Amino acid sequence: MTAVDETTTDPAAGSPVNTARAHSHGAGVVPDASRAERVTSFDVADFAVPTGREEEWKFSPLRELAPLFEAAPAGSAAVEVSGPDAVVHRTGTLQEVGAGTAFTPGDRAAVTGWAATAQAHLVSVPAEAELDAPVLVAVRGTAGTTTSGHLVVEAGHHARALVVISHTGSGAHRGGVEVRVGDGADLTVVTLQEWDADAVHVGQHDVLVGRDARVRHIAVSLGGKAVRLSTNVRYAGPGGDAQALGVYFSDAGQHLEHRLFVDHEATNCKSYVEYKGALQGDGAHAVWIGDVLIRAAAEGTETYELNRNLVLTDGARADSVPNLEIETGEIVGAGHASATGRFDDEQLFYLQARGITPDEARRLVVRGFFASIVERIGVPEISERLMTTIETELAATDLAGTSSTEEN
Amino acid sequence: MTDTVSDTTQELAGPPELEGLGKYRYGWADSDTAGSSARRGLSEEVVRDISAKKSEPGWMLQLRLKALKLFARKPMPNWGSDLTGIDFDNIKYFVRSTEKQATSWDELPADIKNTYDRLGIPEAEKQRLIAGVAAQYESEVVYHQIREDLEEKGVIFVDTDTGLREHEELFKEYFGTVIPVGDNKFASLNTAVWSGGSFIYVPPGVHVDIPLQAYFRINTENMGQFERTLIIADEGSYVHYVEGCTAPIYQSDSLHSAVVEIVVKKNARVRYTTIQNWSNNVYNLVTKRATAAEGATMEWIDGNIGSKVTMKYPAVYLMGEHAKGETLSIAMAGEGQHQDAGAKMVHAAPHTASSIVSKSIARGGGRTSYRGLIQVLEGAHHSASTVRCDALLVDTISRSDTYPYNDIREDDVVMGHEATVSKVSDDQLFYLMSRGMAEDEAMAMIVRGFIEPVARELPMEYALELNRLIELQMEGAVG
Repeated sequence: MTAVDETTTDPAAGSPVNTARAHSHGAGVVPDASRAERVTSFDVADFAVPTGREEEWKFSPLRELAPLFEAAPAGSAAVEVSGPDAVVHRTGTLQEVGAGTAFTPGDRAAVTGWAATAQAHLVSVPAEAELDAPVLVAVRGTAGTTTSGHLVVEAGHHARALVVISHTGSGAHRGGVEVRVGDGADLTVVTLQEWDADAVHVGQHDVLVGRDARVRHIAVSLGGKAVRLSTNVRYAGPGGDAQALGVYFSDAGQHLEHRLFVDHEATNCKSYVEYKGALQGDGAHAVWIGDVLIRAAAEGTETYELNRNLVLTDGARADSVPNLEIETGEIVGAGHASATGRFDDEQLFYLQARGITPDEARRLVVRGFFASIVERIGVPEISERLMTTIETELAATDLAGTSSTEEN
Repeated sequence: MTDTVSDTTQELAGPPELEGLGKYRYGWADSDTAGSSARRGLSEEVVRDISAKKSEPGWMLQLRLKALKLFARKPMPNWGSDLTGIDFDNIKYFVRSTEKQATSWDELPADIKNTYDRLGIPEAEKQRLIAGVAAQYESEVVYHQIREDLEEKGVIFVDTDTGLREHEELFKEYFGTVIPVGDNKFASLNTAVWSGGSFIYVPPGVHVDIPLQAYFRINTENMGQFERTLIIADEGSYVHYVEGCTAPIYQSDSLHSAVVEIVVKKNARVRYTTIQNWSNNVYNLVTKRATAAEGATMEWIDGNIGSKVTMKYPAVYLMGEHAKGETLSIAMAGEGQHQDAGAKMVHAAPHTASSIVSKSIARGGGRTSYRGLIQVLEGAHHSASTVRCDALLVDTISRSDTYPYNDIREDDVVMGHEATVSKVSDDQLFYLMSRGMAEDEAMAMIVRGFIEPVARELPMEYALELNRLIELQMEGAVG
């Protein structure tokens, strides 16, 4: 067989995570039969420090992320929480805020982050409360420090709320976010990665969707040297509806990685994943992994995943892997799509034919590309600020972009 | 079947019309004197012995020994299928079934001839449906024939052992250049113990208008078949190579691990069609790769119907401007089968194009996986690639996966991947049945319609064979 993935790990040298499953016949390791077999654990010892050969780390810049793999105690990032009066905010140890019921670390950085978290936060929206303003959670890192944090977002049954988590500042940060959506609730969680250019961030967001609940998880990654965000969605009961949306803009030398895993175990649930990204500059790297597993019991599932990359200049690299595992035929539908390309010359031509300058046309096309997701954030100020940031980033490529347009 | 049981089993196993899909028609075994005396296990001695039996030049023996070392060192893949069932010590690495290669079917031992008669190979040759035939039985090619006019034009179509013996310079120039000896564990294994396969050279400008065909048969239990195929299509030429394979059903497993290297030179075109129908006790772990030079076209048409486990991802390395790669793939997995198939396209030059269409059907608890890689290297501007995967599930216990890797390192490209997974809908069945069709006919028609985009690219007799296979399952359901 042709090795599609040539980063096979020598079992004799100690397979990093799944040593427990190494087969005794000496004929090698039994590959995970499905995405569900990936190890999750609260014990640091269950996750070796990644070497880069592992399937789940092979795209990541391990040198940048190295401080986040250390099990040593770390400080807490500065966190500020504000929101309507109805919302309960508590801080305390992981136990005190009731963390860990809907969250299990899934990789080395998540487990060391969990182990090192001294102060966790709980944001709780009471049952049936309908918030008229967003809850804002501001996480700020400090240069030269390694920090960890854990946030529990809880929406009681039939509550309706919008929670915005922003990440700014510098340093190395590990953040666990645990989202529990009560039955019939309607929750939107927006996570903004607007780090300074030298920050590194590994985050794991676990979302548990209650019966007939609706949740939107929106990730926006613009800043940071290296950001790797894993979002896992599970369903606690039938009828749940989850959307995971994302926007990213990767600049020269910047690594932005988003890993999604939607685990359909309950019946009649829906999931929709859509991530859109743009890349520009030398060494700009975007990674998108979208895993969807439909277990045998999850009849009536409807799922779709979409990733689109807009590569604006040479030297950028986009990896896009939409994986789909389906164990039952009794589903409404399942599909995924991934597309990577450059500006659509016809769109640019059309706009220019209407008297719009090339620069302006490019701006409009990019705006349109991201609009479908940005508009769904629900906070006009944030949407507008993001569009402005994206346009500022875009302005930096105008020289390179214009010349390549004129080549055609 | 008792009433109480049948309800639940039927629900679990899905539409009874598809029950017959797993019925294997090629499961008989011939008497097996050569196979029973062959030794098991792999060692340097075995490799030296194979090389000596073939009176090979020294460089080939050295290459084999190097490959053997690499095989021992390379890890088993930690992805894809569960391969822990392979017992490398229990496999027979070389089985010689007959001393002399025949050029007429009548020269073959009765048993072997009988097998090929039942497979319908001599008949197809008689009818001139194919331009040349190679029939490999166990480790070696037992029958070989090519149309005289092609031979006159300089087309070489021989088994790979003969290729090495009679065309050593040409052979040495290309052997192992597309798939290096240490490419992966099974490519190393194949290089160490290879035997048989086809060696094809098509001179510049020559079009071989009718397909060349190879037929691979495993007869011995615990057999390892390691054929090695090398195809060189010189500038502006065209050739279509078709291979088929079957094996008897045994209690324990056999291994088929082939390496296929194809060099498609400037403006040439090669089409390689596989109808893989191994019995359900064969591990089919094959490395297939082609390089396409400027303006060249490489097409893989890959049908995976049989085997216990198949891991096969035919690749095209698009090395020259305007090169084109295409893969059409069908996989069917029944009970106990895992078809982990796909394709790999590497865009290494500007203005290259690739397309992958994959269709899979899982039933009776089987598993089909599409695994693919699209890589657009820096500098391969104006490249375009499309991937389309569709899976059809016909019951609730089967499984279908899609693992597409897309790695784009160039801005000026268009790459699209799309996949859908659907089940045979009640609406479709109802519609057809309301037009007077029986349920099994309706189901067959839906399945045929689903695979049609691939089936129509097959040579006529193979398309018919594929359709017959689907008809057959329906018949089985009525009885």
